[in-house]
Amino acid sequence: MDDRLQQVFREIFGDDALVVTDDTTAADIPAWDSLAHINLMFAVENEFEIDIPDDRLGSFATVGQLRQFLETRAAAR
Amino acid sequence: MSTGQDDGRDAGAAAMRTGLDRARAAEQAGDAAGAVRWALAATDAGDDLAAWSAAAGVVARCLPRAGSLSRKARVAVLGSYTTSQLSALLPVAAARAGVAVEVYECGYGQYRQEILDPSSGLYRFGPDVVVLAVHAGEAQLPAMSQDPAADVAAEAARWTSLWDLLVDRTGARVVQHLFAVPPDVALGHLAASTPGCRATMLAAVNAALGRAAGSRVALVDCDRLAAEVGKRRWFDARYWHRAKQAVSLGCVPLLARHTAAVLGAQLGASRKCLVLDLDNTLWGGVLGEEGLGGIALGDGPAGEAFTAFQDHILELKAKGVILAVCSKNNDADAREVFERHPAMRLRLDDIAMFSASWADKPAQIRQIASTLGIGLDSLVFVDDNPAEREVVRQLVGEVDVIDLPSDPHGYVRALASYPFFETPALTAEDADRAAQYRARAQAAQLAADATSLEDFHRSLAMVATVVPLDEVTLPRVAQLVAKTNQFNLTGRRRSQAELAELAADPRTAVLCVRLTDQFADHGLVAVAIASQEHDVLDIDTWLMSCRVIGRTLEDETAGLLVAEARRRGCRYLRGHHVPTAKNGLVADLFARLGFALAEPASSNGVRSGGAGADGVGADGLRSDRRRSDGGLPERHSGATSWLLAVDGAGSPPGLIQITRTDRELEGTAS
Repeated sequence: MDDRLQQVFREIFGDDALVVTDDTTAADIPAWDSLAHINLMFAVENEFEIDIPDDRLGSFATVGQLRQFLETRAAAR
Repeated sequence: MSTGQDDGRDAGAAAMRTGLDRARAAEQAGDAAGAVRWALAATDAGDDLAAWSAAAGVVARCLPRAGSLSRKARVAVLGSYTTSQLSALLPVAAARAGVAVEVYECGYGQYRQEILDPSSGLYRFGPDVVVLAVHAGEAQLPAMSQDPAADVAAEAARWTSLWDLLVDRTGARVVQHLFAVPPDVALGHLAASTPGCRATMLAAVNAALGRAAGSRVALVDCDRLAAEVGKRRWFDARYWHRAKQAVSLGCVPLLARHTAAVLGAQLGASRKCLVLDLDNTLWGGVLGEEGLGGIALGDGPAGEAFTAFQDHILELKAKGVILAVCSKNNDADAREVFERHPAMRLRLDDIAMFSASWADKPAQIRQIASTLGIGLDSLVFVDDNPAEREVVRQLVGEVDVIDLPSDPHGYVRALASYPFFETPALTAEDADRAAQYRARAQAAQLAADATSLEDFHRSLAMVATVVPLDEVTLPRVAQLVAKTNQFNLTGRRRSQAELAELAADPRTAVLCVRLTDQFADHGLVAVAIASQEHDVLDIDTWLMSCRVIGRTLEDETAGLLVAEARRRGCRYLRGHHVPTAKNGLVADLFARLGFALAEPASSNGVRSGGAGADGVGADGLRSDRRRSDGGLPERHSGATSWLLAVDGAGSPPGLIQITRTDRELEGTAS
């Protein structure tokens, strides 16, 4: 799962050298603005074939929280 | 979603990732052109937003270094919703369509203000093309109207008046997104018989805009695109409410691709010729093994699939696509199927160039292009055999290759999904084009037989007719100006509005020439526009369809220009040659016609002639200069100017009989 998430970040930000960790936040990636966030959320939904509820959309403070959310959803299937 | 569709999506996703991996590898190796090629191939394979974003990044970094696109355009995206994703993907989609674009995006929902305010960023940008990216929610229509006819007319007029303003102020081409009619209709099926229902009115506004567009505004039929992918996929309420995305992010790549195809067609970048394999492409089975009676065509499910594919190909031909055959077969056997098989829809005379031999396909394809006199990058190749597709991709990379699925029932869909046969407008010439190109191939045969070129030209019994630029000829002239690449001295792309303006200017002569010979009526094939500046007649635009290159028509056109200069009392005729990637053919034209190389006329290498006085001030506004240059390619390096003294000009060879119908109104208009 981490490889897929890493790839989504690299493609959305157009940076093949980008490395995200559980501690990465929007403040660490200059291009991570509100528009990029929407693109990112869409790409994550698309890649992992899930819907992220509206109340969770803006709730991920770190990449780690997003990863944990995805793992919970995968486990619930 | 069915398993089959998921498989297709996964295969597309895998192909996209492969293309991207190769693009990145090429970029790291310093091969910018290769990186661009692979990134564009990735976008062909699917519509995944993340992969498209990555491809857009590669193209943004590598295209300027690759420098492989001679067509350039400044494109303004004016939207009614969040168009940032569309604007971000448009450069990669446009590069795929053959145009390098610089994009300006207006603020969120600011399209109307930007158009109405003459001091807006839009006008400072000076666009060549304006894309009106608007969505159904923007239409000012009530849920239920008491007077639907009036409401529809008012809404259509709101858009056409914006078009008028844009054309008037910028001379830009307008690309309008039509409304995708939403699927959620409270009235249910009753809506279909209720003209006042909003959904019904939206469709009526689309139809009204279609009628109003004519050939001056290009439309992207978003309702068809949305229906194709499924309207509930096209419009995703979650992303509308979250981020004002009126087109679901998963559909933005598709919208970008089609917008770019329409935009490219406006700039002359569309493909012209479909090159068809025969065995297992036009019919089932291998002719050399099954024989004429054994191939699958017409009868049975497989036979019907091939018949349907041929019917679709005929529809493409009717809109002006040239057809060619490229097959590994015995020529006589292959032709016999066209002549004798009762279920064949395509006839031999639908095919402009029939190539069946045992030569390899890249060699056959090069021969097809040179016989028809068109560039390899005008060709599109379809073949059921993946190996043949691959060898053509590798050895003639300029040719577009369409992947056919293994099942012939999917052939029509594969061909119909290919977007780069877009044409700006249908003209009478389009329907006749195969006949004209076939005549060209026959004439090439006659040339091989004739003892001298002059004898050959005389045997053609050519007649050129100079016709006026009027409402009948304007669409065809605009099409020639937009599409002609090889015999085009300046590469200047005057828009239809500019052409009409030039024709009305008494200082300007517009010569439109039709050509017929014993084989075919070639239609309107040559255009020369020249403006008088004191005692000089300056050639603004001079181009000729590649169908009639090598017929001495250029010499006769030069003779017509000399006669025009004399009639106006000019002492000199001045021409300009601006080299582009494709017009090497005319590099020595002026020298051959007896013109002398002039001193560089101005610092930018070529004068912006013709569009009136707006080019006069040396520091004139950028947007004005852009307009007067009428889409001249950005770079003018190597541009030359040439002068011919009218008194000393020789006579043209006289192998074409000249008649004129444009002089009946002499004295009242020119």
